[in-house]
Amino acid sequence: MIAFRVGLYVVVLFLIAIVVVGQHHTTARDTLRAVLPRTVRWIVWSAILVATMVALELVFIGW
Amino acid sequence: MVTPKSSDPGRGLGLSAFLAGFVPGLLQYQLGQTQRAVVAFASCTAVFFAGWLVVGERLFYWALLTPDQGVMRMLASFGLPVTLPELLNLPANVVGALLAFDPSPTGQRIWREPRALEHLGGFLTGASGMLAAFWSAAGHWELRRRRDGGATPAMPIADPALCAAMSWLVPGLGHAKAGQKDKGLLMGGAVLAVFALGLLLSHGHAVDRANYSVWWIAQNLFGGGSLFAALVTGPLEQVQAPLHCDAGVIFCTVAGLMNLVVMIDAFTVAERSVFPVAKPEGVAS
Repeated sequence: MIAFRVGLYVVVLFLIAIVVVGQHHTTARDTLRAVLPRTVRWIVWSAILVATMVALELVFIGW
Repeated sequence: MVTPKSSDPGRGLGLSAFLAGFVPGLLQYQLGQTQRAVVAFASCTAVFFAGWLVVGERLFYWALLTPDQGVMRMLASFGLPVTLPELLNLPANVVGALLAFDPSPTGQRIWREPRALEHLGGFLTGASGMLAAFWSAAGHWELRRRRDGGATPAMPIADPALCAAMSWLVPGLGHAKAGQKDKGLLMGGAVLAVFALGLLLSHGHAVDRANYSVWWIAQNLFGGGSLFAALVTGPLEQVQAPLHCDAGVIFCTVAGLMNLVVMIDAFTVAERSVFPVAKPEGVAS
């Protein structure tokens, strides 16, 4: 279940990146070229955010 | 090249122009476009009341803040329920509210009663608010074109407000109209994919104004998808909540917000055909 949801999250993140990055380019080719690094960066930030939230949960609520 | 102060896109058109945008056609009237003003007012009013005849007082139940008590109740009694996006079509929203508002317990029970064809009725009243927003955008664009365009203002490659409206119905169509077909296809495809994924995960129940009225406000930013849901998936009977319904609702909402970006970008692409982006000093063109 978690893997399924994470998979969906990554796909949707990629699609959101297309729209966000697209604003700064005039062609689809340029947009696609810039989308992948942006998606990877967002995935890393998402992982950091989740890790921080889990750590806070462990500190204040416990296992 | 430095942006001349007069064409600074960050420079607003003033509070009066902003407020005039809430009355469909008023900006066009002020600009001397009488025929367009009449068409704007008539189209927004007709679409609103076509839906209002079906949903009526149900709009109070779908308001962002239900007017059952306190300040919201007082505002609604003056004809100002905070129902989005209907609020953008202010005159029709006020008249509709004054005709239907009954805050008594019996009246409030009627707000909560589902009625036949309410999905379509709710879409139409919402569409009137979006239509009013596009007419307002058209008025603001014309004001800026006359203010910053010099003695003989240039015509854009396509009307920016029309591009935004086209993207509301079919994401990416506005870009195609403004000359960026492949980018429009890519961005529109992304919006459609997220919306379709949301509908799929929720077995078609994610876009339902009756059940998820606050989420619907953002979902309706993709008008074509919201219309599809109103006609096809909304009326489907929900026997059991699908396993991933929560994700479906969120994805459809995200798709609506993505389409807001697409609409703004389509507007900007057309706008830049007249007012190109200035490069910072020292950057080669």
